[in-house]
Amino acid sequence: MAVIDHDAALAKAGANVTGFWSQAGFLARRYPLGAVGAILVLLFVLTAVFANVIAPHDPLSTNSRASLATPGGTYWLGADFMGRDMFSRIVYGARISLAVAVGATLLGGILGVVIGLMSGFIGGWLDLATQRLMDIMQSLPLLVMALVMAASLGPSLENTIIAIAIPLVPSVARVVRSSTLSLREQPFVEAARAIGMGEIRIAVRHVLPNTLAPLIVLGTAQLGSAILTEASLSFLGLGIPEPYPSWGRMLSESAAEYVRTAPWLVIFPGVAISLTVFGTNLLGDALRDILDPRQRT
Amino acid sequence: MRNRLAIIAGGLAAAVVISAPAFAQKQGGTLRVSHRDNPPSASIHEEATISVNMPFMSVFNNLVFFDPKEKINSPDKIVPELAESWSWNDNKTKLTFKLRNGVKWHDGKPFSSKDVKCTWDALRGGDDKQEMIRKNPRKVWYKNLKEVTTNGDNEVTFTLEREQPSFLSMLAAGYAPVYPCHVDSRVMRSKPIGTGPFKVAEFKRNEGIKLVRNPDYWKKGRPYLDAIEFKIVPNRSTRVLGFVAGEYDLTFDSDITFPLLKDVKDQKKDAICEARPTNVHTNLLVNRDAPPFDNPKLREALVYSLDRAPFSDILTQGNDLRGATMLPPPAGVWGMTQDELQKLPGFGPDIEKNREIARGLMKELGYGPDKPLKIKVSTRNIAIYRDPAVILIDQLKQIYIEAELEPIDTTIWYNKVQQKNYQVGMNLTGAGLDDPDGVFYENFYSTSDRNYTGYKNPEIDKMIDEQSAMTDVNKRKAMVTKIEQALLKDAARPPITHGVANTCWAPAVKNLVLQHNSIYNGWRLEDVWLDK
Amino acid sequence: MGAYLTRRVLLMVLTLFGMSVLIFVMLRLVPGNIADILVDSAGIADPKEKAKIAAELGLDRPIFDQYLQWIGGLVRGDLGFAYVSERPALEEIAPRIPISAKLAGLALFFSVILGVPLGVISAVRQNSAIDYLLRIVSLSGLSLPSFWLGLLILMASVQWFGMIPIYTNEPRGFIDEVLLLSIPAAAVGFRSSALIMRLTRSSMLEVLRQDYIRTARSKGASQTTVNYVHALRNALLPVVTIIGIEAAFLVGGLIVTETVFNIPGVARFLVEAILWRDYPIVQNLVMLIAFCVVVVNFLVDMAYMALDPRIKYAD
Repeated sequence: MAVIDHDAALAKAGANVTGFWSQAGFLARRYPLGAVGAILVLLFVLTAVFANVIAPHDPLSTNSRASLATPGGTYWLGADFMGRDMFSRIVYGARISLAVAVGATLLGGILGVVIGLMSGFIGGWLDLATQRLMDIMQSLPLLVMALVMAASLGPSLENTIIAIAIPLVPSVARVVRSSTLSLREQPFVEAARAIGMGEIRIAVRHVLPNTLAPLIVLGTAQLGSAILTEASLSFLGLGIPEPYPSWGRMLSESAAEYVRTAPWLVIFPGVAISLTVFGTNLLGDALRDILDPRQRT
Repeated sequence: MRNRLAIIAGGLAAAVVISAPAFAQKQGGTLRVSHRDNPPSASIHEEATISVNMPFMSVFNNLVFFDPKEKINSPDKIVPELAESWSWNDNKTKLTFKLRNGVKWHDGKPFSSKDVKCTWDALRGGDDKQEMIRKNPRKVWYKNLKEVTTNGDNEVTFTLEREQPSFLSMLAAGYAPVYPCHVDSRVMRSKPIGTGPFKVAEFKRNEGIKLVRNPDYWKKGRPYLDAIEFKIVPNRSTRVLGFVAGEYDLTFDSDITFPLLKDVKDQKKDAICEARPTNVHTNLLVNRDAPPFDNPKLREALVYSLDRAPFSDILTQGNDLRGATMLPPPAGVWGMTQDELQKLPGFGPDIEKNREIARGLMKELGYGPDKPLKIKVSTRNIAIYRDPAVILIDQLKQIYIEAELEPIDTTIWYNKVQQKNYQVGMNLTGAGLDDPDGVFYENFYSTSDRNYTGYKNPEIDKMIDEQSAMTDVNKRKAMVTKIEQALLKDAARPPITHGVANTCWAPAVKNLVLQHNSIYNGWRLEDVWLDK
Repeated sequence: MGAYLTRRVLLMVLTLFGMSVLIFVMLRLVPGNIADILVDSAGIADPKEKAKIAAELGLDRPIFDQYLQWIGGLVRGDLGFAYVSERPALEEIAPRIPISAKLAGLALFFSVILGVPLGVISAVRQNSAIDYLLRIVSLSGLSLPSFWLGLLILMASVQWFGMIPIYTNEPRGFIDEVLLLSIPAAAVGFRSSALIMRLTRSSMLEVLRQDYIRTARSKGASQTTVNYVHALRNALLPVVTIIGIEAAFLVGGLIVTETVFNIPGVARFLVEAILWRDYPIVQNLVMLIAFCVVVVNFLVDMAYMALDPRIKYAD
């Protein structure tokens, strides 16, 4: 594994370009699906960040006259049972999803990196112990693990992030550990050691940057799965509680009550989840092709 | 040819119509009912939810019973069941029942006065006699019951501490079945034994409950149905679809909300739907033992802040009833009239004026538009609790209160309330019996287990005891109104609205009478038959 | 080889033991226990009754004792008593397994018959319009929440066919059951089919680039023979492993789908048991799932070893 040189990689691929925009343009032509994904993800992030500007109504304020209002007019996507504007709720829901996706991926990622680096670099009994712990955690499907975690922590935004992050740890730790193991014996690490660099510094300065590419690929994939897991947890009543407009929770309420009388309450939050996850998946695929040629699909 | 067929068919129909009175009730058939969730257990005495009463009431009998043919439960409409007759002694403290002969439990053992004694000894909370039940939510109903004595196998006497006219009503409620002495409490929770018209054939979690006809039922010719099947379907949309598609003959009690009613009527034109009060009302729990609501002025402001119309409009499209703690007339026997109600604090029609009062109180306490009071509104994390809480939070903004919803895991809700670990709670209170003794003792008496706000007011206790002993109904009603006023003034669970909901059935279901002042009574189902 | 097997089996036992400790401790961190819930369901909060119930269920004993009792029973095949139904946990769990297993089997079947051929087509026609289309479809399979897909199917069938494909009555006969389970199975299987398709595609592409395929081609084998006989056979190995792993991981999809379609299976039961703090049910179910995952992983490794002569395990 070598240090990634993006410019060189681009040049090799035939891109005779410099500057951010032209490089982006080249990549978009080469990976059209990835570009679509990037746009979807960008839209999602912008919606989340500017939710207060975009949303025409307060997502929490109720209105008895608008109960189950049909889409169109004042309420573009209709209103829920309590007369809350669906569009505004979906827009604010992006914030929740983004918070959960980024929060869980980062938390899981950081824990995974620390564990993976330590386990790969220090080795010995520590490696053995963490490997077994990772085995144990991976012996349950992601949703089951998250379900048990969410139940034991109780419903809240923070706890949901933790409940989703923990099950993500083993896969990150494994990737980092295996990279670390192969890097540990590389000449430049040996050299660093020879000039008396501390182990931790070596790990952080030399080993970590070289595991970044697979980590980014893995992280993007995990963004989507974190969003889906949150939706499933909230759907089952164990994730984000009311009154936060979580997409999954919105679905669970409407699925139980309004499949027939107000189908738009079931359709729109689902579309929001699907498009967002679809975007991260498209982007993830393209990133993998760019950053990690060995796993090319 | 077609004409001839039509004529034949017409003739047949005429024949059926003519002969109908003779064979009015048909024997047989299975009544299929949708059920909303897993009942916590099958033991009526241990639970407090319609999820248990609706499927399991027909397994049991009471000593006496509210006349199932009447829509309104009232003390003068009580009929005998396992008791053939009853009588009071002169000072009205001894109630003696003559019991029916030859009644058998579903396991073949004979029913006797010992079973009655066993049941009420357990309910009374006698120290050693609690093996029959392990939870006793309505212990306070029998607070005034001194002892139960038997005289031979067919006579039993209930001795009261003092006169209590409502006592017979409590025995007539769905929550007062007679349990067998000889059956283990674990069995009563999973596959109970009763004397009732139906036996439990199966109780499977997540699937359903199957009851079959008790061939040895003491009431000859009853029940009509061969079996009743309750299918557990947690998703309401799915239940409604199932009913519309003809998979169920009867919906779960009060399952059809008003937004759904139109849909049901559109999809199933022949469905019979009846709207009735549930005698379940939304109310506020106010933690008076901790800041900030230990301040009576703040509690008063809360009472004046409520606009009940939006609650009713959103939750039941305006069909909810306005009332205080007791269910209002006409369905309610003891509630205040709308005129009386309007005089209560916060119930007046001029909402703006009420809120002006509330804002004035808030300003006195130093709050204002720039300095709002920040609180949490806690509630059980299920829709019927959460929805009104969200509306409440929206309304509190009007009186400088910025509230945040705190949804509590439904499993630790009472725990949290009991530990006084909340500020304001949104709560639902259901009345198993439309009677001031039932309602007041259960929810406001200082020693009650279901008074989980720990409301303690010696004056209220005294008034509750006082009305309980009154024999003159009109005087008692006046006392009840006085109690309601005092409770509201003290912001002890300020009531918001009384629920109304629809129950629907297929036209083939005959003789089903829904009771309009308690959903927990009237599910004996022995007179129901299917015209199929 | 023998030593390797012994080591693997020991590791499996170690993993399961660790899981049992983990789940046991985690469940007891949950706020509120079964005694709270039972009392709460009656709308009361009488501490005396609560304490009595807790004692009856053995919840007042030290946590270590409770663990020993459970694990000791588990080893002997005694799963204890479910708290809520008060019946033996085994009697509660066992009847629900077949229906979930059937659902999972059917879902897996769908995902294989869809995923493998489409993956092959996609690889053979790399970068064609159909490849792009199939890649988009497969990615969407990974993006749609399976419960939402299930809901859409429900809504559509009500709208257009006036029927609800949900489980309300026990199916009469085999055909009836297959029909009833097909729709939820398709909702679950869509996701796995997408996974399988992507994997088939990438592993096909890899194989097509290999030397021996070029050799086969240069020897004059027809394009079709090369694609379907030589390449597919070799590309299937990783696919087989993912199918094995998916089989165990389908549980996640089953949880929500069984909820949507009202199927009284074991996956939905897990959620309800968690909500009810029915520890004996949750613990045993989690162990069952972990056991399946661990065993499947083991079998997959074994299959790999048997099928791929390049992999050798050092003793």
